[in-house]
Order: sequence, then C-alpha cells, then structure tokens
Amino acid sequence: MRCPRTLTLLVALLALTPATGNAESIVVGSKNFAESRILGEMFARLIESRTDLTVERKLGLAGTQVCFEALRSGGIDLYPEYTGTGLVTILQESPRGDAAWTLDRVRREFLSRWDLWWLAPLGFENAYELAVPSEVAETHNLRSISDLVALAPSMTAGLGYEFAARDDGLPGLERAYGLRFGSVRTMQQALKYQAAGERVIDCLDVYTTDGRLVVHDLVVLADDRGFFPPYEAAALVRGATLQRHPEIGAVIGLLTHALSEERMRQLNLRVEHEAEPVERVAQDALEALGLVGARAVDTVSSRHRSLWRYMWENRRDLGARTLEHLFLSGAGLLLGIIVAVPLGLLLERRRRSAEPLIRVVGTSQTIPSLALLAFMIPFFGVGARPAIVALWLYAIFPILRNTYTGLRDAAPEVVQAATALGMTPAQVLRRVRLPLAMPVIMAGVRTAGVITVGTATLAAFIGAGGLGEPIVAGVQSVDTTVILSGAVPAALLAIAVDALLGAIERWLRPRGVGR
Amino acid sequence: MQPPVLSAMRLGKRFPTGVQALVDVDLDVAPGETLVLIGESGCGKSTLLRMFNRLEEPSAGEVQIRGQRATDLDPIELRRQTGYVLQEGGLLPHWNVARNVELVPELLGWSATRRQQRRDTLLELVGLDPALYASRYAHELSGGQRQRVAFARAIAADPDVILLDEPFGALDALTRVELQEEFARLKARLQKTMLLVTHDLAEAFRLGDRIAVMRQGRILQCAPPRTLQRQPADAYVGELLAHAPEVPE
Ligand SMILES: Nc1ncnc2c1ncn2[C@@H]1O[C@H](COP(=O)(O)OP(=O)(O)OP(=O)(O)O)[C@@H](O)[C@H]1O
Ligand SMILES: [Mg+2]
Repeated sequence: MRCPRTLTLLVALLALTPATGNAESIVVGSKNFAESRILGEMFARLIESRTDLTVERKLGLAGTQVCFEALRSGGIDLYPEYTGTGLVTILQESPRGDAAWTLDRVRREFLSRWDLWWLAPLGFENAYELAVPSEVAETHNLRSISDLVALAPSMTAGLGYEFAARDDGLPGLERAYGLRFGSVRTMQQALKYQAAGERVIDCLDVYTTDGRLVVHDLVVLADDRGFFPPYEAAALVRGATLQRHPEIGAVIGLLTHALSEERMRQLNLRVEHEAEPVERVAQDALEALGLVGARAVDTVSSRHRSLWRYMWENRRDLGARTLEHLFLSGAGLLLGIIVAVPLGLLLERRRRSAEPLIRVVGTSQTIPSLALLAFMIPFFGVGARPAIVALWLYAIFPILRNTYTGLRDAAPEVVQAATALGMTPAQVLRRVRLPLAMPVIMAGVRTAGVITVGTATLAAFIGAGGLGEPIVAGVQSVDTTVILSGAVPAALLAIAVDALLGAIERWLRPRGVGR
Repeated sequence: MQPPVLSAMRLGKRFPTGVQALVDVDLDVAPGETLVLIGESGCGKSTLLRMFNRLEEPSAGEVQIRGQRATDLDPIELRRQTGYVLQEGGLLPHWNVARNVELVPELLGWSATRRQQRRDTLLELVGLDPALYASRYAHELSGGQRQRVAFARAIAADPDVILLDEPFGALDALTRVELQEEFARLKARLQKTMLLVTHDLAEAFRLGDRIAVMRQGRILQCAPPRTLQRQPADAYVGELLAHAPEVPE
C-alpha cells in the first residue's frame, strides 16, 4: 500500500478545508439559543461597522463546552458568555458571592489560566429560574421555590438537557431546597414553553430574559435561598485577539450596561416568538442604541409564508447551505474512500487480523453523532474541519467492510482460473478481483454517502454550516417553516446522492458482472 | 520409450487442516499421452492435478515436469505454459470471449495482431464462429459453449501440457457426449500431453490412453482401459469397473 501518498493526500485535503480563526478575520461565536445568537450577531455587526476587520460568524454552537473549547483552541475569537456559567460550568466552582464577586472571580481565573478576557458586562442577567403557569401559581399560591417543595412530587417538570444535568441546575437545586419532582422530562429549550402552555408539564426552567415568559403567561418563582448564581452577560474574548486588535475591546465596550433585562426579553421575543431573523433584531438593537447607522437587512422572515415561498425567497442562503452541506459530506466521503479501500485491500491479505479490526472500526458507528462531533473540537476547533473528520470516521466502516468482503468473496473459481493460467497475484487483484468486487465496494460507498449526507445535518452544532443550520435555528424558534426549509433540501440531497452514487455504481460495474 | 513429461515421485500432500490428500503417489505421463484420473469424490484427484501447475506444493516427495523439479521452476512461467480447464470453465465474467481466449498470449506479451489471429483460429477449432462469439460475455453463452471457450483459452499459447478438471462435469448428457467426441478428435489432432479428471467411466474409457484409479489419496492401479478391465489390481478396482463399457479390441 502506498501509505505515505494516502497520508499526504489526507493532510492536503484537510488543509484545503476553509480555515477557521485565521489572522485576517475575527471569528464570532455564539451558543445555540436566541439570546446568544442575538448578542453574537450584535458583536459581529459592531465590529464590522466600526473597524476594518472582517468577521466570520460561527453562531449556534452546541452549548457551553463547545463554545469554550472553540475559544480556547482559537477556533473562535469571542462569544457571549455568562459569569455564572463561567464559574459553575467552566471553573467547576460552587457559587459563593454576588454578581461583582462572581465577575471578579471569573476574570481573574480565566485570565491566568487561559488568557481569556471577560469584557465589561452588558447590563443584564440571564439567570436560571423556575417558572410555573400563572394558573398553577394562583391556585396553589406559589411565589417562591420554597412554596413549590410540597407540591413538586405531584408535578412533571420539563427541563432543558443542560439544566437537568448541571450542578447549578436540578441536582444542586434538589440539594439546596430538598426539591423532588414527581417526574422529570428533558426537552428542547423551545419545546418546553409550548409543553407548559399545553400543561403537559407543570414546571420548567427558564431564563430571566426569556421573551416567552410573557407569551405563555408564566410566573417566575423567587429563588428565596439564593441558590442560582448571578449570570451577568458579557463578551468573552481571547487575549491574543485583543492584543492584535485592541479596537475590538473598545468597540464591544460600547455595549457596557447598554442592555436591560426588559430590553433583552423584547429582543428575544422577536426572535423566538415573532420568528424575526436574528440579523434584523440585532441591527435594530444597535440602531436604537445609536451604535450603528440605519441599514436594511436582507434576510427573509418566515412569518406567514408558505414553505415554498419562504424557500424561494431564501434561495441564496439555502443554496449556500446546500453547497456547504455537499462540501462537508463530499470531503468526508472522499477521505473515507481514500483510507478505507486501501485498508480493505491490506486486510484482505491479513485475514486473521481483519475480522477483529473491522469489528473495532464498526464500533465507530455506534458513537452518537453529536458526541463524536463534540469530541473533535479540542483537536480541530470548530467549523468544517472537525465536522469533516467526524464524517470521515463514519464513512470508513461501510466502505472498509464492503471492500474486504467484496474482495474475499469475489468468485473463487474465477480467481482460481486466473491464477492457474499464470496471472501474478497483483494481476489477479487488479484485473479480476477488484473489478468483480466493484459492485460490492460501490454499495459500501453508497451507504457511506447517505450516512455522511444525513449526519452532516448535525454539523451545524459545531459551526460547520450546512443544511442543519436552518433546522437548528428553526427548532429554537419553534418555526416549522424554517425547520423544513433545511430538512426538505437535506432529505432531497440524501436521495439525490444515493441516486448519483447508484448511477456511478452502474457505470463502474463491469459488463457481465452481478446481474 | 521417451522420458515422461509429467511425473510424480512418492508424492504426498497434507493440508494444514490435517487432511492427508495424497499418499505416496507415483505417476508418469508420456508425451502426447492422455491420462485420466478417476475415483470417488474427495480421493485427491483435483489435488494431484493442481500439483502439476504448482497451485499446490508437495509436503513429501516431488513433482517433475520434463525432467525438471517443479519447485525449481518459476510458478508463473510454468502456469503460462500449462493449459488448465475446470468444471465451470472459470471464464472471467467481465471480459468478453475474445479477451478470455487471448488471456495467456496477452500475459506473454504477444502483439495484438498475432493474438487476434490466434484467437480466431482457436474459436474456429472449438466450433465457435468468431464473428458471432468473440464479443460475447460468459453469461451470454450456453454451458457447452463456455467449456469450448475455456478449452480454447487453455491451448491459446500452445502449451504442450493441458490439465483438465472435470471439464464436462457440469453439462447435460447430450452436450457432454457431443463435446467428448469433439475433444477426442481435437486430441488426436493436437497431440498434447493431457491429465484429465472425470467421474464419468464412459468418458475415461473413451478419452484415456491410460486410467489411474485413486482411492483415499493413493493410486490403486494405473493402466490402459483394457488391462484395467481384464486384470483389476484388487476388488475395489474390479467393482468400480464392473459397470464400465466394453472396450473394443
Ligand atoms: N485447500 C484445501 N485445504 C484443506 N483441505 C483440502 C483442500 N483442498 C482439498 N482438500 C481436501 O483434500 C481432499 C481431496 O480433495 P480433492 O479436491 O483433491 O478431491 P477430488 O478427488 O477432486 O474430489 P471431487 O471428485 O469431489 O472433486 C478432500 O478431503 C478435501 O476436503
Ligand atoms: Mg475435484
């Protein structure tokens, strides 16, 4: 096997993937909920309009770990974070003081440990709280979490995945208040509100600035034991970035104490409930603060439009997403072929070690996609690179397995005849076994193709773009139109890729084989 | 008597699985002679055949080809000089008839024109019209036609030894007889040294100059058909040949 050449190709392909966090453009990240996206978009627009720097957006990264790892590894330069999250989730400390103490603590620790800077707070807190439908609050006269303790065993709580697991979420709360819910259902942030409105759940975790508190008529229960730590919002920036471009500090500084909780709730409401595009909401907020000039935002709202109309009006963005999607899955698949086919050839000659090895590779298939994607971040940052590596790992197994079995089982009597007439083993491989195994190998490639196209939808969670982007955004704003505008093309793409690979398979299939 | 083309001396074969496929086999095949191997299934006929083009290597004794030890010959070259036909023909399904027949000449580096001439001659020799059949694929041929192509392929580079492992075994009775007769004619014309495995006694008697009866890896008796029938070496051979056709004087 020409191992060095394969490796070189692999490295070259990886190098070709769009670079993240390079010197020329500033990469702004955010988590995957409306407020974080709005703040990220505001940062991006401020930098774009007030400096000469270009900005790359990696908005909607999946959760704190992903954002923080991305920041630390240089995949992004800054993102909006909350002091409480920094203290509890990242530093893994228990909350001990008020807002000022918390800010001071995270500032000092982040600076000394990782050279990461907390800029001045934006002016509002987005703390965790528990809320109940106002009807429930009135009937049982609930005002604080302490009031809830007696009632909780008969209640179903609907909690976000993070909240249910975090120490500053449910587990801590249970300890602090002796609180026990009858049952707990974890669900997507956005779906909880609907569930509460329909009374599928009786209690839920909310953020103070959540616009949907108003819409769904929810009452926030007072944290009378001061369990929830302060969650002041602020920009978290790499020290290296600030050193190279000090103007970023100055520009983001314009937002110091510029946003109240009331104001943030309204902005969130527009995105989460009115399904307005984040770009427009961010632009409006900056205009209202007099920080940027008036400017039309050329995005399309999904409000009151049919799916087809929305997709048509949004075609440029969807087209770009489709290309990203194809690029990600195509690169993953190609790398998969480059590695798996030669490996299959090699293993076929070492049958004894082949079966166990293939089984080990097969376990890669059982790793949940999102976990695998998240696992890549410390090594590859965020963006296309880790996504392609993950997709590549997924693509290897079906191709490897089919290459191996296809070669192993290729018509034995034909192979025997070819050998008996004086073909060298290399000739038998190239001129007989490979052509005969081709349909089986291509079937593996086809399976891998469909898997990568399907899994690439999740790449949006680590900022790699693709058709998962509208799906993730749509799930957050409970907007079926937006979800479908990503899901429909993704499904069509999977069908098209399957058909295309099928056509290639028929085209590559030697005449006279496999009918 | 001329020196034998093929010979086995105290040849033994034990597979890694522990199966003793050949025991103390001594055998000579004279130039131009057709020697037929018969015996019940699993007695080692194919294994013995495959020793002569080094698809199997001896674990005891030795194989000689034209007086040279097989192990001293380059296996690839040896195989290119030895015809081989197996039961299902083993035609490469993704190559057409022309390419299949030209396989060994191509491996030997013959020019394209020489290969084509040779291919057409051979197809005509085995009774297939080149214009009609050269561009066909195996799945577009009948079983009998496939065996004709396989035979043409085996003699394409004009080897003087041909090994045939039940070449007519998978054919229906009529086609089989037809091909056997044609084979008998070709045999007389080509004057090749042939080693042929069969389960069909009639075939053995019709085509064999001598017949070797095998049992459990040993050769019980090797003699011309008539001798075999008149003086069987033991009861087993006698029983086996009880149903053989009468050999004309
Ligand atoms: N590659 C191998 N590995 C292990 N055992 C083998 C191998 N090839 C043949 N054998 C065994 O050697 C013995 C002789 O096999 P062989 O194929 O020579 O029999 P045969 O006389 O040709 O039988 P048939 O008439 O059924 O073709 C059998 O017991 C068979 O199972
Ligand atoms: Mg056999």
